[in-house]
Amino acid sequence: MNLEDFETRVLPAKNKLFRFALRLLGSSEEAKDVVQETMIKVWNGRDMAEVQNMEAWCMRITKNLSLDKLRSRQRKSTGSIDVRFDMVHESLSPHEKTEIQESMKRIDELMAALPDKQRQVMHLRDIEGYSYNEICEVLELDMNQVKVNLFRARNSVREKLIKLNAYGL
Amino acid sequence: MDSKHIEALLEKYWNAETTLDQEQELREFFQGSHVPENLNEAAMLFRYFETEKAKKLNENFDAAVTNKIRQRQGGKIVSMTNWFRVARVAAGIVVVVAAVYLIGQNVRRNSTKEIADTESDPKLAFEETKKALLMISKNFHKAQREASMINLLNEAEQTIQRKPSEKEKEQTEKKVNI
Repeated sequence: MNLEDFETRVLPAKNKLFRFALRLLGSSEEAKDVVQETMIKVWNGRDMAEVQNMEAWCMRITKNLSLDKLRSRQRKSTGSIDVRFDMVHESLSPHEKTEIQESMKRIDELMAALPDKQRQVMHLRDIEGYSYNEICEVLELDMNQVKVNLFRARNSVREKLIKLNAYGL
Repeated sequence: MDSKHIEALLEKYWNAETTLDQEQELREFFQGSHVPENLNEAAMLFRYFETEKAKKLNENFDAAVTNKIRQRQGGKIVSMTNWFRVARVAAGIVVVVAAVYLIGQNVRRNSTKEIADTESDPKLAFEETKKALLMISKNFHKAQREASMINLLNEAEQTIQRKPSEKEKEQTEKKVNI
């Protein structure tokens, strides 16, 4: 792999890697570091046998590096969520905006509260739009485990959303 | 879009039975502005997915990474380690060579001293040799004299030791006689 290949095959995945690392770590600074480490790792291993699905390969490295980081700091990935919601539609009134921001924050907390595997599977499927096969490859799980985890994740998110709606946000 | 169709899709979605295409359909539906009240929680969730998907690294990230990679590609680090390896061997050689040179110099200096004492005139050399030998013999003589003193002492000791043993001998002879 030369630099050009790297720029066309590896670099474009950076935002997906970043979002995945962010999902696991909860801190955008650390997520950025992990993505950078992933890129360098991929570059250093460029003489290895050709990887078929480069993006899934990068995702897997990102996952492993993120988990290493989590293990090394030994704390849960919640926190620093407040800065992350400036993406809301601009045509809304300030009141609606804060309401939406509030509900986004709730959903974020709710996602963060899911068990690790469920959170990872749901992120890859619903935010990145990965197929089951790709999720299997990234998370090193079999098809059944992926499906079960996705089912449980969506169900528990649904239940909590209904509760949130019922009691008002 | 038919809301019954969407509700059916949603039910499948919650049960994790939707295909990627169907999920895309749901996503597009919730991006539209006409979302029925009863689908509120799903709408919130899909809006959340969209905002999450918009998160990006800032633009100077690419430059930072390619810079780091260029440094590695240029072989900077590799050449440094090679250089160190060569330097290590070279340092070893320098130490050995310096040691050999210094020791050699020392040996040479010592050996020249001995050779420098030789005389050019044979007669003088003969006289010098004679003098040296005389000195040796004189000292030897002196040493012999001192040594003879030790001999005296030895003899005295022997005579002292002999006396008791002779007495014992005489006693045993007497016993035999009896």
